[in-house]
Amino acid sequence: MAVIRDVMPAFDLYQPGSIADAQKLLAQHGSDAWVLAGGLDSFDWLKDRIKKPKAVVDLSGIEELRGVRTTTDGIEIGAMTTLTDVVNHPVIKQKYDLLAQAAEVVASPQIRNQGTIGGNVSQDTRCWYYRGGWPCYRAGGNICYADTPEGRNREHAILHADRCVAVNPSDTAPALIALDAKFLLSTSKGERVVDAEDYFIGPDIDITRLHILQPGDLLTAIRISSTWAGAQFYFEKIRDRNVWDFPLMNVASAMVTSGDNIDHIRIAVNGAAARPLRLKAVEDAVRGKPRNAATGEMAGKLAVQGAIPLQFNAYKIPLMRNLVKRSIGGVEEATWTS
Amino acid sequence: MTEKPVPNLFEGAPNAVSRRNFIKGVITSGVAVSSAGYLFRASTLLHGQQVPTGVGERLLTLNVNGQQRRVDVMKQETLAWTLRYKLGLTGTKLGCDRAECGSCTVLIDGIPHYSCSVLTHTVRGRKVQTIEGLANADGTLHPVQQGIIDEQGFQCAFCMSGFIMTAVGYLKTNPNPSRREMAQGVSGCLCRCQDYDKILTALMRGAENMRGAKLG
Amino acid sequence: MSETAKPAERQYGAGYKLIGKNYPTPDLYAKVTGQAKYAEDFRADGMLFCKLLLSPMPHARVRHIDAKAALAMPGVKAILTANDLPAPADTLTDNGTVIKASKWGERGLTNEPVYQGEPILAVAAVDELTAAEAIEKIEIDFEPLPFVIDPLDTLRPGGPNPRTDGNIWTRPAAPGSQGPGTPVVTELKWTHADFAEEKHGRLPMGKAPDEWTYGDLDSGFKNAALVLDETFVTPDTSHQTLEPRSAMAYWQNGKVYIHTGTQSTAQTLPAIARWLNISPDNVVFISEYTGGGFGSKITGGVSMIIAALLAKKTNTPVMMRISREEETFIGRARPGFQGRMKVGFGKDGRITALDMFVICDNGPYDAVGDAPSSGRIVSLLYQPQAMRWRGLTVLTNTPPRSAQSSPGGLQGIVIMEPIIAKAGRRLGLDQVAIRRVNCPEGKAPFGPPVQGKRQYATSAFLKEALDRGAEQFKWNERVARTPKRIGTKVRGVGVSLSCYVGGTIGFDGLLVIRPDGRVTFQSGIGNLGTESVIDVHRAGAEVLGVPWEKCEVVWGNTTKNLPFTCVSGGSQTTHAMTRAAYATAMDAKKKLQEIAAKKLGGKPEQYEVANERVFRKGGGAGMSLAQAAKYAIQLGGIYDGHEAPADVHKLTKASVASLAGQGLVAAAKDNYPRDGSTFSYVASFAEIEVDLETGKYDIVDFLASGDVGTVIHPRALGGQMLGRSTLGIGHAIGQKWVFDPHYGQMVSVRFYQSKPPTILDVPVDMQWTALDIPDPETPVGARGVGEPPVAGGCGAILNALSDALGDEVFQRAPVNADTILTSLEAGRPRQHPLMAHI
Repeated sequence: MAVIRDVMPAFDLYQPGSIADAQKLLAQHGSDAWVLAGGLDSFDWLKDRIKKPKAVVDLSGIEELRGVRTTTDGIEIGAMTTLTDVVNHPVIKQKYDLLAQAAEVVASPQIRNQGTIGGNVSQDTRCWYYRGGWPCYRAGGNICYADTPEGRNREHAILHADRCVAVNPSDTAPALIALDAKFLLSTSKGERVVDAEDYFIGPDIDITRLHILQPGDLLTAIRISSTWAGAQFYFEKIRDRNVWDFPLMNVASAMVTSGDNIDHIRIAVNGAAARPLRLKAVEDAVRGKPRNAATGEMAGKLAVQGAIPLQFNAYKIPLMRNLVKRSIGGVEEATWTS
Repeated sequence: MTEKPVPNLFEGAPNAVSRRNFIKGVITSGVAVSSAGYLFRASTLLHGQQVPTGVGERLLTLNVNGQQRRVDVMKQETLAWTLRYKLGLTGTKLGCDRAECGSCTVLIDGIPHYSCSVLTHTVRGRKVQTIEGLANADGTLHPVQQGIIDEQGFQCAFCMSGFIMTAVGYLKTNPNPSRREMAQGVSGCLCRCQDYDKILTALMRGAENMRGAKLG
Repeated sequence: MSETAKPAERQYGAGYKLIGKNYPTPDLYAKVTGQAKYAEDFRADGMLFCKLLLSPMPHARVRHIDAKAALAMPGVKAILTANDLPAPADTLTDNGTVIKASKWGERGLTNEPVYQGEPILAVAAVDELTAAEAIEKIEIDFEPLPFVIDPLDTLRPGGPNPRTDGNIWTRPAAPGSQGPGTPVVTELKWTHADFAEEKHGRLPMGKAPDEWTYGDLDSGFKNAALVLDETFVTPDTSHQTLEPRSAMAYWQNGKVYIHTGTQSTAQTLPAIARWLNISPDNVVFISEYTGGGFGSKITGGVSMIIAALLAKKTNTPVMMRISREEETFIGRARPGFQGRMKVGFGKDGRITALDMFVICDNGPYDAVGDAPSSGRIVSLLYQPQAMRWRGLTVLTNTPPRSAQSSPGGLQGIVIMEPIIAKAGRRLGLDQVAIRRVNCPEGKAPFGPPVQGKRQYATSAFLKEALDRGAEQFKWNERVARTPKRIGTKVRGVGVSLSCYVGGTIGFDGLLVIRPDGRVTFQSGIGNLGTESVIDVHRAGAEVLGVPWEKCEVVWGNTTKNLPFTCVSGGSQTTHAMTRAAYATAMDAKKKLQEIAAKKLGGKPEQYEVANERVFRKGGGAGMSLAQAAKYAIQLGGIYDGHEAPADVHKLTKASVASLAGQGLVAAAKDNYPRDGSTFSYVASFAEIEVDLETGKYDIVDFLASGDVGTVIHPRALGGQMLGRSTLGIGHAIGQKWVFDPHYGQMVSVRFYQSKPPTILDVPVDMQWTALDIPDPETPVGARGVGEPPVAGGCGAILNALSDALGDEVFQRAPVNADTILTSLEAGRPRQHPLMAHI
């Protein structure tokens, strides 16, 4: 069978109006179903004719999945809320700006106008072998093409690789982990709440997906409690192009200090492994320490312990070290005289 | 030199879902013959044959450029394809069909979207505006279009309608942008002539024209 | 970085009414309203759609195709394979020479794919979905063949060959001739000893089939105060025009009608005829709007014949929409170079000797001229006192290359510029000063001696452009500014020289003065966005003194009576076609004077043409152009096109004949003399800011200062100056190909992987300026501008980077955060110095 990477294959389109209806459709179609959120990741797979689901369940008509609601203890963001709406939401801007900063550097304006927070955290990896349709581990095969002697792996993992060296490309994921967000899942067994960091999985758990959703499960909302509201935030994304690019690496931190000292802190990076990494050891090491360059240096070095570079991605080790350092010690703004 | 092993990469991905099997769909075929339905499986081809549900098109009414347009649409059809090939609105261009060039940008309820990455079935009841719907009925150009004429913006112009629609959408949120803000606003559009500087000048002139028009 | 409005535009065109003035081009209204139709916007009754089956392998032989299941599908109409292609046609040149068709040439479809993504066959069906599904039902049995991704790999002892009969293009001298003959594919392998240099990170320099020298290289090096020997690798970059090379074709009464994009309307017709092996009389070509070319669509693309042949086979119009991924494979690219230069500098920075060695990654098909061109351009731009150039054009199983804006010029200059920057630092010279001392001036020589004499440029005012640029960019202030570093941020400034060919000669122009007094210019130039299709005719209108509102330009369709026109490639159009337009307007003027003399008495030279009239000098009798046109029709003969000038091309003659009787028909060949070869020059300046902790950098400011002859249309010129600069900048900041060499597969297929620059990757306020000094060797004085700014864009960024970071950070372009960070971490360059496509 020859391959053609053009023209979306036909499918049955279902447009449920409620989570319950969506759930029913997903149960009915099982692994034949494909969940469509903003579609920016999905359409690549479909138009490349690599995935040919029989049934596509479009969530865009489900009002209850949309919008940002304030709750007694923070906010709840519907999974189908667009990234633009996340960026522009006054409460998010005011209290959880870390998330707004992250969402604002995702892809391009048009993609943010359509791409959803749920889709952004649930998107698949951008490993160019896997996305190109190569039959690698992640695609059900028995080789990782990126991790071969001549493999091209500039954008791949330096930590926690297990057969597959793909990385998670989400910008909002580390911000949500740093904000200690909770993800609400609707599953056949009922509703489930998981910590943001537990939503993501590496190849050691399941080599074919980046998150814990099983067929039939839906991510319905993301809750952020007020614990970290108004904390000191740091987000930085390093990418090749200033728009339309996935992170080579990004970092997100939330911090509460008293005086010079760090009282509470959460840090996460993405682009280093198949899942966004919460840097718990770093958090533990810097808690109680003064927030300064020296603490940042120490944190950066600690963060990259155990990192193993591939042939073309050794730069990610200093990059991660420096980003973690900055996420604690900050970075000097350069103001030039002319 | 020994031959390198060539992997059998091309027999379809191993976990690809099995071939399409037309089962009952929620949206079933209306099979109304469309005069221009030749992009996807043509209605004319299927006419008189037993039509498997899910294959055919469904008659939708879309609000495009202020008009109600009745059109047969496949379930997997993108808005860009409906506009270009069913409604003849070819000012919307397909540069990549993968949400990474911006030439297909249209406004949906006033917001810029890549029409290559929107299913037409999801825009029922929403207002779609394309480049063809921007000028007044009497031919008077939209101030952003006029700004391009004023400044000779763009070169080959294949990206132009996408840039214009994006700028028009962006100016709704920020009518008085700086050059940098305008660049950010239209940054989801790629120009391969790389005429970015002149494009920005033209769009800034367009923004100025808009403010002038409001005052006037 | 300023948020303020741009400075007031410089005024050009002193003394002219139209030349040097801004105006809205007549194609703009259709463009802004979405009415402009590009090839894929056309529809024809009953039209079929075709889809391509691309080779999954970099080199293979098709053993068997089973299309039974596909052809059995309802709605599938036809399949086209390489077996259906016409035999390759020989080319008959205008002077009657027959150029035999090359056996290595590209034909559109193939049974021996020589790159991944090469079209094997096409299927036509009633709609695209059916055609795509049909492609998936086709079974093909391939025999894999050895392949080459990195040019060095085929030069190794025992290395595989990319084509069955060899690995390099050579040009054996034609019998009895001085110049190089038709290129042929031959085999060349270097020795293990040649490759010894590789382990030191330096380019091995084995036998090179192409070589020239001038001056005394040895004493040049001996007398040098500083000798640098550097290896540098430049990227392969796809043209990626935003409009893919989609094509629609149908046949009517034995003629094929083709809609597709091209850079050159008139010149694409003979190319189509050759590819289809039919008479040019049976081709109608329509291309009013083309979505970008940059050298990839000089005469369209051979793939267009697939639509034409399927249309013939099915007797139905066929649309071939090319997808972005297909465009990535078949849409052409700039060849990357692996280059090495040994350069000797005097104390004052003057280049005493230059030994240049380049390997050009040609891809699998026709020989590109980048390698030889790189040597000539470098020799002109830096005027080395002695120089040797050696080059190889190596075939690989990677997508086909073609000229891309500044072909060879970009690669040569980009290898050279970082060396000059390094020499400036070593010798303690200012970067502008070291370039100034090497600048070409006046009738500057270039290339090797031909019959004992070196060729030379028509003119060069690059020093003035450099000085103007340095002043406008406030170079000295920027260099002197302290600190260079604040926190983790470092700033660097860079300047680069740049030049490229800027014009050809000898083409025709054609215009009609209508009986209503309006003037119609027939334009055979392609409308690819440079606006030269319209702009050059402003020179004609200027000569005739006709207000632009009364002028119309006809373009975009070979049935519209077009004159013989240059191909729009290599920045020749503005030069070549302003000359033709000028000659034609002078012909019209002469005819007007003659008509006036005939009707009103006196001698033709006693009449002048101005204000839409031809009238007796110093006042007195005269007539309007409208009246003169009516008289022209009465007079017939040469006046209304019933006779054509003897020296114009047959294509022009045919067009003149079709226009006969419609008014005063003026046609002329550009016979103006020219002493030297035409080049344009640019000095480019950039400031960048690098973050030392992340390796990320941004361009803070950019200026391109041009010596490009007389300015014809300032805004269009500015678009070229900065647009082409940005194309070059893309080579510095990220655009590239990435291949998995083990499987021979490109992995950078998408834009987010191959990284063409976005609007946020360049400063929001870029600057350009032009000297507006007329070239002395051409009427009007205009030269071309598309290519010259390209290398300067790339060079200025690279030089600004090494100003900020030092010389030991990168040895290849593009330079990204990964390169910078790895080198800073290691304290030395850490990137693979020679490997292609990483």
